[in-house]
Parts: sequence; C-alpha cells; structure tokens
Amino acid sequence: MVMGKAYNTAKQSPLLFEDKSDGRPLFMILVILAFLASLTLLATKTSYFAAAHWSAQLSDTATVQIKPGEGGLSQQTAAQARGILLQSETVTDVDILSQEQSKALLRPWLGDTSLPDDLPLPLLLSVRLKKGQSLDQQKITAQFRQAGIRADIDDHGRWAKSLTRSARMAQTISLLSLVLIIITLVAAAIFATRSGIAARRKFMSILHQIGANPNYTARLFSQNFALKSFKAGAIGALGAYLVLSLLAVLARDDGGASLFLPSLKTGLTDLYWVASVPVGMAIIAALTAWRTVMKTLIAEIYP
Amino acid sequence: MNKPSQHTHSIHFDGVGLRYGRGEEILKDINMSLLAGSLNFITGPSGAGKTSLLKLVYLHMRPSRGLITIFGQDTSQLAARAIPKTKRRMGVVLQDFQLVDHLSVFENVALPLRIRGLKRQTYGEDVISLLQWVGLGKRLYAFPPTLSGGEKQRVAIARAVIGKPDILIADEPTGNVDDAIGKRLMRLFFELNRLGTTVLIATHNHDLIPKNADIYKLDNGTFALETDGHG
Repeated sequence: MVMGKAYNTAKQSPLLFEDKSDGRPLFMILVILAFLASLTLLATKTSYFAAAHWSAQLSDTATVQIKPGEGGLSQQTAAQARGILLQSETVTDVDILSQEQSKALLRPWLGDTSLPDDLPLPLLLSVRLKKGQSLDQQKITAQFRQAGIRADIDDHGRWAKSLTRSARMAQTISLLSLVLIIITLVAAAIFATRSGIAARRKFMSILHQIGANPNYTARLFSQNFALKSFKAGAIGALGAYLVLSLLAVLARDDGGASLFLPSLKTGLTDLYWVASVPVGMAIIAALTAWRTVMKTLIAEIYP
Repeated sequence: MNKPSQHTHSIHFDGVGLRYGRGEEILKDINMSLLAGSLNFITGPSGAGKTSLLKLVYLHMRPSRGLITIFGQDTSQLAARAIPKTKRRMGVVLQDFQLVDHLSVFENVALPLRIRGLKRQTYGEDVISLLQWVGLGKRLYAFPPTLSGGEKQRVAIARAVIGKPDILIADEPTGNVDDAIGKRLMRLFFELNRLGTTVLIATHNHDLIPKNADIYKLDNGTFALETDGHG
C-alpha cells in the first residue's frame, strides 16, 4: 500500500506539542536569568581568583627602600643590603631594581615627563619570601643600622589587610548575588515546567487513559522540559560569555586592565564555568517535570 | 488479544455503590457479571449513571463501596503499576472523544501502539486499513480540530480497537454519526466481539442492539438485567 509505506517512513511527530503562545515569555525569562546567572558566576569566580592572587602576591613579598645618604646611593650599598636580606631564613630571593625600573614606578603619578638624572630616588629592593612566611623586620633593621644603611621595610601588611577586606566584601556581594539569581532561576525553571505541564494536562490524561506507564509519561515530559531549559540556559550563558569577551576586547583597546580591577580576560575555562548553567537548568527542569508528572499521575492513577 | 474462556468473568460488580463527595449515591448496589467474550448494552435515561458506571469499569474512579473485579483481579488490591497494564487491555470510547489535537488522525489512532514501544513499520498498514474501514482513509493527515463530530467519533473508536483489547467500553459510540455509519461502527464492535472481545456499550438507541446481546437497564441508580441475550 503506497500510502502505508509513506506513513511508515515518515518521521513521527513529537508527542508533546510546543505551546508557543504561553511558552515564549517564560522561555525569554529563562534566557535572561541564565544570562545574569552566567555573568554573576564569572564575576564571582574572577573576584575570588583575583583576591586570592592579590593576597598571595602581597603576602609573599616585601619591599625595602634604601634612602640616599650624604654620599648618594651606590650599587655597593644595594649589594650589601641584599646580602643582609639573603641571610634571613624566610627570604628566597632579592632583586635590586634599576634606576629605570624605579622611575617607571613613578610614571603613573608623574606621567611621561623625563626625570632629571640627579633626582635622588631611593633604591628599591624587591624581596621574595617563602610561602606564608614574613620578614623579621626588627632583626633586619638592626642589621641595616649596624651596616650604616638607612632603609624602610614594607611587608605590604597594611595593603594586604585592606585589600583582603575589600576583596572579601566583593566576594560576599557577588556570591550573594549569585545565590539570589540561582534561587530565582530555579524558581523560574520550576514554574515554567509546571505551567507547561498544566497546559498539557489533557494530553497527560489521554496517555493515562490509553494505558501509558507513568514512567513513560514522566520521561516524555522530563526530556522535553530538560531540553527546553537547556536551550534557554545555553542561549543565556553563551550570550553572557560573548558580552564578557567583547568587553575584554574593548578593555584591551582601552589600554589594558586596571591595576586593581580584576582582569576581564575570558578563556576556555570560563566557557566550562558558564556551561554549568544550562546543564544545571536542564537537571532542575527534568527533576521538576518528573516529580510533577508522577505526583499528578499517582493522584490520578486510581483516585 | 488474549482469547478468554467463555466461562470466566471479565467484569464483576458485587454490591457496588458510588457517590460523588457527600452527595447521594448515584449508583446503588450494582451487581453485574459480564462473561468474557459477551456482548452487553447498558441503557437508561440521561443522568441515570451510565457514564459513571463505565468510569468504574475502566478504572477512572473507585467505588464508594462494594467490590469490582476485572480480569479476575480485585481492583481495590491492584498495585499502582499494574493499573496501566490493565488499562492497556481495555479500549475506551468516550463521549468527548479525548483526541490529541496536535496529532494527526493516523497518529491519534496509532497512539496506543506507540506508547507500547512498537515501531511504525509494524503497525502503519494496520492503522491505515482500520481508518479506511471506518471511512477515514482520506483523512489520515487531518488534525482533530478540522474533523466533524462524526469523524472524531470514528477516530476515537479506531483508537480504542487498534490494540485489539480484551474489553471494549463505549459511551454512546454512535451519538454523533448518521445511521449508516452507526450501523457500520456497530458491525466493527460485533466483529471484535465475535473474535472474543467483551463489549460493554452504553446507549439510549435500542435500534442498534442485536438480539443476542445482554441488556442491562440503569434507572435512578439501580441496575437490572433487562434482556438475557443467551436466555
């Protein structure tokens, strides 16, 4: 039979229909929430890593500033100071900054104006410490005094304390925002799933009437809503990733990252982070759909 | 279809009563035994409780009292997971047809087979033959909202019988079709009955009832065998 053969090879229609009029606004809400969740997730992640990086950098280093004496500063004084520092058990390395490097540090405040060569700049020594260790400032200062070296030691403690406090505040705020957005996203995914099921209540009853197993019906709805939520989540997450990537490009064009703001760079790792948003949404929708369908069917199976 | 023995009961009601909420009983002390493979009609005026009685048979609701046995199983003891299996042994035609609007006529009729996991290649031609038999051979691709009442009814009937059920339950199955189609549909039911299906039809149209059928009369919630087709 020709007609029969045509029907046999035709693709089966999906059992669940797409309720576009009701579904579209909810889909858009899910996309927007996924976008916001992805942005907040990346911001939280960046602020966490940046704060950790700053703290590590500040806590494992110290700066020694040797003041010019009557006879000026000599490389010999610097080498003598370096030797004293290297004797300390907590110090791993000491770099003597050249005059050019010292002048470069002043550039953000003084601009590109060339500084006179006879300007008495202090000599800077960058000291690297063992992880988690600090410099015994009293002992080093005494040793410097004994050697006739006038120096200030800065272990960045004041900076580190203030920076850590600010970073923790930023972390808390972004984490709180992330939690709130995730709660809203979960609630929206649950609501979208439930309202979708309510719109298909008659179909569910028909399946039940003709003897479909509850697991069959639940799987049908679960897969459908999981896929829909995944799509919404993927659009939102990809949108967030693209927006951040674009901002990163613009920031680069604008002269690079600021000294204290976290870098806006996006990479493959960020893509993995945002991928968790659609996956999470799909899991939530699948579980909600499964639970709602089973609950409805169990109540209906033989009331 | 399982070929049932003529001496077993497909459906047995013992002192069954039904009330909705706290209202009066709409079915009172129903005692009924339908032999496997028998042809049965329930008649009675509108509002007599015919549809409610059928709902008890196709496990849509529980009785307020009494015992219902289907295929030899006490329905009050049926495990939840056994109910879909029992329902798959029944074909049901309801007054509101219960068609799926977004599926074509073909797909509506094939639905009971599809949920059993059968492939379209195994049932496609059976579905088309059946639809041609009920006069819908040219409406395979049509969707329910575009069908007339009579066409919808025929789709519902085709869906109820496609799985070759052990029990066929129909609530006013010819209510929306003309006499010629009505008689043709009844012939389909009789043919299924001849092959062993227990048929239970609620109707107010006595002209459709053959002489060999058992006729039960339901009036004001009480139930009685009016004509024994085999007596």
